[in-house]
Amino acid sequence: MASVELRGLIKRFGSFVAVDDVSLTIDHGQLVCLLGPSGCGKTTTLRLIAGFLEPSDGEIRVGDRLVSSRTRTLPPEQRNMSMIFQSYALWPHMTVAENIVYGLRLRKADRDTIARKLAAILATTKLEPLAQRYPGELSGGQQQRVALARALIVGPETLLLDEPLSNLDANLREEMRFEIRRLHDEYRYTTVYVTHDQSEAMTTADLIAVMNAGKIDQLGSPEDIYARPESEFVARFIGAANVIKGTARDGTHVEFAGATLQVVGAKLVPGQSAPVAIRQHEIQLAMRAPAAQQNTLKAIVTRQVYLGMNRDYMVETPDGTSLRVSTPTETAVEKGSEVWLTLPPERCRALSR
Amino acid sequence: MTLTTSPAAKPRIDWTRPVLWLFAAVLMLLILLPLSWLAVYAFTDKNRHLTLQNFVTLFSNPDFLDPLLTTAIIAVTSAVICCAIAAPIGWLVSRTDMPGRQIIRALVTASFVTPPFLGAIAWELLAAPNSGLLNQLYRLFAGEDADALFNIYSLTGIIFVISCYTFPFVFVLVANALDTMPGELEDASAILGGNAWTTARRITIPLALPALVAGALIAFLQAMTLFGSPAILALPAGFHTMTTKIWSLFQYPPKLELAAAAAMPLLLLTIPLLQGQKFLLGRRGYSVIGGKYGAPRRVELKGWRLIALGFCLLVLLNPVFLPYLALLNAAFSPNATTLVTPSTLTLHNIVFVFTELSSTQLALKNTVILGTATATIGTILALVIAYVTTRRAIAGHRMLGFLATAPVAVPGIVLGVGLFLSYTRPPFVLYGTLWILLLAFLTINLPSAYQQLQAAFATIHPELEEASRILGATRLQALRQITAPLLRTGVIATWCFIFIGVMRELSAAIVLFTSQTKVLSVLIYDLNEGGDLAAIAVLGIAMLVITFAVVLAVNQIPMSGDNAGAKLRNG
Repeated sequence: MASVELRGLIKRFGSFVAVDDVSLTIDHGQLVCLLGPSGCGKTTTLRLIAGFLEPSDGEIRVGDRLVSSRTRTLPPEQRNMSMIFQSYALWPHMTVAENIVYGLRLRKADRDTIARKLAAILATTKLEPLAQRYPGELSGGQQQRVALARALIVGPETLLLDEPLSNLDANLREEMRFEIRRLHDEYRYTTVYVTHDQSEAMTTADLIAVMNAGKIDQLGSPEDIYARPESEFVARFIGAANVIKGTARDGTHVEFAGATLQVVGAKLVPGQSAPVAIRQHEIQLAMRAPAAQQNTLKAIVTRQVYLGMNRDYMVETPDGTSLRVSTPTETAVEKGSEVWLTLPPERCRALSR
Repeated sequence: MTLTTSPAAKPRIDWTRPVLWLFAAVLMLLILLPLSWLAVYAFTDKNRHLTLQNFVTLFSNPDFLDPLLTTAIIAVTSAVICCAIAAPIGWLVSRTDMPGRQIIRALVTASFVTPPFLGAIAWELLAAPNSGLLNQLYRLFAGEDADALFNIYSLTGIIFVISCYTFPFVFVLVANALDTMPGELEDASAILGGNAWTTARRITIPLALPALVAGALIAFLQAMTLFGSPAILALPAGFHTMTTKIWSLFQYPPKLELAAAAAMPLLLLTIPLLQGQKFLLGRRGYSVIGGKYGAPRRVELKGWRLIALGFCLLVLLNPVFLPYLALLNAAFSPNATTLVTPSTLTLHNIVFVFTELSSTQLALKNTVILGTATATIGTILALVIAYVTTRRAIAGHRMLGFLATAPVAVPGIVLGVGLFLSYTRPPFVLYGTLWILLLAFLTINLPSAYQQLQAAFATIHPELEEASRILGATRLQALRQITAPLLRTGVIATWCFIFIGVMRELSAAIVLFTSQTKVLSVLIYDLNEGGDLAAIAVLGIAMLVITFAVVLAVNQIPMSGDNAGAKLRNG
């Protein structure tokens, strides 16, 4: 078992740079999510790790082995990895059991070992009654579990998952998220998980690498990524934060829409423009001016929607910026009313990008 | 709000039943009538008394047993050769980084659309024992008196020529299976430790195998039911296949009962073969499952790239390059089997064929009339049936669909015999007119036309029509403004393919023509018997040019179906 290390990884397709100087170290037994919108280079990165693609530059190491570099790429079959594909890629001409033991057979495992491991994995993935069926006769969730079983049974050094849940319906997806995390905790493979779904990443990952335009925008724990976004892209992509464009007055204060906001986060340069992120449910909305003047500003309600658990407001500040605010249902304000917003200083995060 | 009822609610006429019965009746007439007469003749004697004597003769007389055996040998050997050739080429074109893959596909399509009887005649030019160009070339080196290197008038020769123009059927199926096989299935094997060879052996080949076996069945069927190539090559060699035997039974004195009985084995073998093919290609266990799949990774051949291309070109020398060269040479040379030189180049053959050869005018006229009529009627028929079956417009649509595809199981010569028996008697005396040929061509081309238009309809989601209806269009307006424009390319393509199909049909026409209803394919066959190879070359090239022009034009317009060449049926 080993860590996976990417160093200055670049992949070009013609003039298009799909993966642009990605460096990432995944410690042994860690589960790292590559999270980003479609086209951000996350699947390309995964296929580079698997060895299906050769890097244009940079290198990939597994433990102390160099597996990919510009000059030499170890073929996938010699990497001792497993992968779960978006389509599951179950072989339609083999039964569930044959699909699962394929990797063991290639590793020349003896008959008893194969039988024992098969029984164990079938039990873990609750597939025992389906072992003799063909993949075409299974439901989507069952196929997904077969794919998991097939990947896990060989005890890979590294497990790669390419959007493994995107073909499942919502309920099943939620269930399988915890299942994947549970299996990871049980076997502790070094795992790379590609997804575009932030809640999937939040539930499964030790570490999330948010990718944008071929680069890793921010790397951190789920809490880091959500609570302390560093860039406008991460703030918007994770939890759809409001990003306001103010001007820095000093190291910790930003001028915005005629008010002065005290902020935390990135170091500010006075006079420079300063993007500040704040989540919709962290803004307090009041019909009267609050007692404390700090970090408050006036706004007009332009839209109000009752969502059951809360109310969703769209408000416009005097400079024309629209902000989304989520409030408890008791706070009911008509469209067109003037309201006061309080943006708690510890929740206003100045962004560096 | 006031409620308005539509003024004078029109009494609605239910058109669905009459339409269903009309089309069902037309299809019955096309298929069931000839087959019924075939059965009647096969099981009766001259006075229409029930007897099995015809079959006793068929299976005891060496005159019939030998052709049966010959046909079996030809069909089995051709099928095996076709698979051995088509599978590697299909794999190279579909799964490797061999250069010129598109060119190879185009060349295979070219051999696909070449009428097999034309190919057989071209190979006469190349490999007739004395005059064949290849044998002449060989004698240049081996000396004047050397024996011929090739003799195309032999069992081997027939198998060779039939394989040349049958392997594309296997190729299309195999290449299609490999094209649509998701690359991730191979990737999954690789990441679990399977090297290239293991992956090929355990994943790729098993997945492509059903397509290959299905291709073999189709190749077997083709080789078994082909008339032109064996008639051209086996008769001079002095032996018969089943199809040529059936044809000879029509020569004077005609033995129609025996002909009908001899057609039965062909018919009865075709049905299970087609069933088997359908079963293999449609098995649930082999259908691809799951969601999005990526494009397959191509195998890097490295140093083998050019060798692979060379292999493909070498194979295609036989169905395409050599025969085409021989035809071109014959068309422009004063003597069909002398190599043309700039000084001997002549346009005399072309002038002769189109101005002096009396039968050309008639045959061309008949072909154009029949082609246009068959294509137009066939397209309309197929269009209506395809609409009815895809939109489930009327009850019983399944039966219509089944009837429209049923002629696939009737080999051309069998249908020819059936039609001959049906329409040489009152009340329908059509023999000797173009009508009987029209019926034959219509029946033969209906299945592929129907399948093509059904595929076109299937791609047009009914919601497109419904969206137009909800915005206020009537059913007819929706059809005219939405469905018709979307179908136009499919309809044009279908029309063109039927036209080509008529032009290249020989095996049914050969038992149905009379001197006044000769068509181009029959004329070519007749000219071959008369040894007028230069005229054949000119007509054949004209035929090929028209075919390529149509196939090319149809491939240019965006099609909803797949490989355009696959829509043709060889006769």
